[in-house]
Amino acid sequence: MNTTAERRGPDRRLGRFLVVPGILATIGLLVIYPVFFLVTESLNVGDAGTFPPDELGFGNYQDMVSDTQVLWNTAFVAGLATVMAVGFGLLLAWILTRTAIPGRARLERLMELPYYMTPLVGALAWGVIAAPKTGLANQLGRLLGTNGDVLNIYSAWGIAWVMALFEGTVAFVMISAAMKSMDPSMEESARVLGAGKFRVALTVTLPMILPGIVSATIFVFAEMLSAFAAAFVLGIPSRFIVITTVIWQSTSAYPPEYGRAAAMGLCLFVVLAVAIGLARLVLRKGSYATITGKAFRPRPLRLGARAWPLVTVCWAYLTFAVFLPMAALLMTSFQKFATVIVGDMHFTLDNYASVFRQGAVASALTNSIVLGLGVATVGSLLVGVLTWVIFRARVPGRFLVEYVVMFPQAVPRLVFGLGLLWAWLWIGQALPFTLYGTLWILGLAYLTVLLPLGVRTLAGVVLQIDKSLEECARVCGASWVHQMRTVTLPLLRPGIVAAWLLIFISSVRELGASLFLMGPHSKVIGPAIVDAWLTASSELSAAMALVQTGVVFIAVIFLLRVTRRYSGDPA
Amino acid sequence: MSETEIRIEIRNLVVDYGDVRAVDDVSLSVGRGELVTLLGPSGCGKTTTLRAVAGLEDPTEGSIALNGALVYSASERRNMPAEKRGVSMVFQSYAIWPHMTVFDNVAYGLRVRKMSTADIRSNVMRVLDLVQMRDFADRPSSRLSGGQQQRVAVARAIAFSPEVLLFDEPLSNLDAKLRVSMRVELRELQKELGITALYVTHDQEEALAISDRVIVMNAGRIEQIGTPEDIYRNPRTLFVADFVGNANVIRGQAREAAAGGEVDFVTMGGPVLRAAAGHAQAKGDAAALQAAYVDIFAPGRSDVPNATPGTIHRRMFHGDFIQYVVDWPCGQLLVRRPPTDLFVEGSAVTVSFAPEHCVVL
Repeated sequence: MNTTAERRGPDRRLGRFLVVPGILATIGLLVIYPVFFLVTESLNVGDAGTFPPDELGFGNYQDMVSDTQVLWNTAFVAGLATVMAVGFGLLLAWILTRTAIPGRARLERLMELPYYMTPLVGALAWGVIAAPKTGLANQLGRLLGTNGDVLNIYSAWGIAWVMALFEGTVAFVMISAAMKSMDPSMEESARVLGAGKFRVALTVTLPMILPGIVSATIFVFAEMLSAFAAAFVLGIPSRFIVITTVIWQSTSAYPPEYGRAAAMGLCLFVVLAVAIGLARLVLRKGSYATITGKAFRPRPLRLGARAWPLVTVCWAYLTFAVFLPMAALLMTSFQKFATVIVGDMHFTLDNYASVFRQGAVASALTNSIVLGLGVATVGSLLVGVLTWVIFRARVPGRFLVEYVVMFPQAVPRLVFGLGLLWAWLWIGQALPFTLYGTLWILGLAYLTVLLPLGVRTLAGVVLQIDKSLEECARVCGASWVHQMRTVTLPLLRPGIVAAWLLIFISSVRELGASLFLMGPHSKVIGPAIVDAWLTASSELSAAMALVQTGVVFIAVIFLLRVTRRYSGDPA
Repeated sequence: MSETEIRIEIRNLVVDYGDVRAVDDVSLSVGRGELVTLLGPSGCGKTTTLRAVAGLEDPTEGSIALNGALVYSASERRNMPAEKRGVSMVFQSYAIWPHMTVFDNVAYGLRVRKMSTADIRSNVMRVLDLVQMRDFADRPSSRLSGGQQQRVAVARAIAFSPEVLLFDEPLSNLDAKLRVSMRVELRELQKELGITALYVTHDQEEALAISDRVIVMNAGRIEQIGTPEDIYRNPRTLFVADFVGNANVIRGQAREAAAGGEVDFVTMGGPVLRAAAGHAQAKGDAAALQAAYVDIFAPGRSDVPNATPGTIHRRMFHGDFIQYVVDWPCGQLLVRRPPTDLFVEGSAVTVSFAPEHCVVL
């Protein structure tokens, strides 16, 4: 018998112990290093261009705090948008999980759509619909004889409305998860004990789902604070400025005020990190219902004719979030002139010709797709390995890996891009090749910020695979490699495909991190749309936004097919 | 049992999970063709012991030998990986791979061993026949009922003719009726093929029914090893008495500490009973009496052993037997009688049992 092979060799052990530090070091470099630069830069009160700074101080933070108007604007818009988004989410979640309305299954699936539309696209579209004077709604209003504008999207309310429409789906997903995780027998036993419907809702249902709602609210609020696109597109025309707009303005100003941007970015990061931690804590500590992780489908309320208003609510939400914006963009994208006057339209295909032919725009589109393909491929492989290490491998310190991998979730994209910009500018001086201004740095950034998404997607699949399925293969005589090839990977395949598609979709629609990292020869579609909107025309940006959305939707259709094929064949 | 007949030999096995000692100094052996059960409540270390034999847990101390060859030894720093040990295992969750057909599941171990296609086919069909699943060979295994998955799991485990078969609570996910019939089938199969098996269960009835020998475990340690009859009749510890069968535990003190034979047992309730002396290390402060060994007679009988007056407190009809709760001088006594032995609740009776059935612990 071959004894050397059976002995627990020191090399095998060493390998095990090196896995975790290796991963921690790599991801730590990608994630922590840029944040370190942010901290240093935020304390720089001397010349913004020198690094390390000549003078250190808290001036940037003092400036930020003294600018109360910006802070108030940010808090007001985020608060307003959160209230609206959670309101949408709560209403939709209740309708779709607790009532028997016609077409419920289809509506539930359609509710994913707003998530795949970007807030940027939404903001551009709502600009077309409800801008003062030129907005379609306002033109229609004048036609009907109203005085002045019916709607003004270039306002705090307008910005909040658009953000709420798109974040509403997130709230919906989180709240309906809480609702579905509640065992209906909890309510039934209260009914049997003699409590009326209203009393049950107040004493049993609400306390059970409250942690879910609170945690969704905190999470959505944090997202709103660090949102960029809507506040930028709809706020700039009316000079309504929030923190993220200031960050962008300070870096594009001359001379650039990097310190100010970094201080604001860091504060956003801290607020976001605390909020995400808080949201998780609320969900874990306060929740009785989600402990089992089982999904229930409570017996839905039968409403008869009263169901129709609820159906209308669902379709109205979809119309405002998806159909109407798409229609408005579609119409604009075929126009020749900047302002859409309904009575005076000139249809043209020039804008689409520009998207595909005009050098800068076409290359931005190509770059985005190439980046998407590359990041998705490398990312899904990496995510596969990471998820397996976190949830399956018997190595010390694997929980640390989870924390580090999930860390980018807490850093606002815009801020992360800023940090990465300096980090690589500086390290780039020491490297024999240039990284800044190439697609490589974008790819690296995407990979880092999208890892949490991929890990979350795959974690669900990995956790569903019973450990004994793998162990059984080993006992049957299969080596680790054979087991991975014949059992683990085939079972993981739907999850890996889903992770690939989600990473691809998120890469193509990326905006926040790309804004600062894009170079003149490495344009990508998200920031290019913003550029087109700022410098060229809204028709061209509409056409670009539609093409971007088209690419995303093609991927979504594949995603739905994949998930449906595998969910139809229960594993 | 001669040395060469021993298939599984575990010596002083210790398994730690961090600070928790899951298995604490366990030694046991399983002979050729024998079915030995590890019985105990959840968390007693029985499954961990089984998984250590399979090579799925890394033990801390001790040694494990299969067919006379060491597969794990702490002192020699030897730990053979699971796939090289040549054992087979039926998992509690069945672990049927959902992305393969029934045939592919069963053929897995044979393909790993690089058998010819024809041999694989004949072997798979042979074992599917054994578990009456021949017609399901081409079914996708995600479309099987629990009982069918169970059969496929067994077929897969025996397909490559392993010398040692490990069962990890194989019947616990089946409903009661099916569990009982599968128990018979498993025992038939094991006897017919002469398989050496280590079997884990928390169901004492299943352990007693299926095993050649039963090993009762508690808190990582072995409480008692013996044949099912022995374990049932002569529990050595309070834990075994409580866990196996439906024993009454009577508090009191044995008069003399003689090992073997009969002793007087002074109960806390008053009467002095004649009891079996139990083993040498018995503490003598309690006695165990299985509910099925107690007789009930009309009041006033004195010509039977350990005749004690009592009153029927409660009667519960179970079908195969009647369970009585009898008030007697030592508290309440559980008694199981055939369904023909009817007594009315509240009536006075005499309870009686043979001294050898009342074992001093």
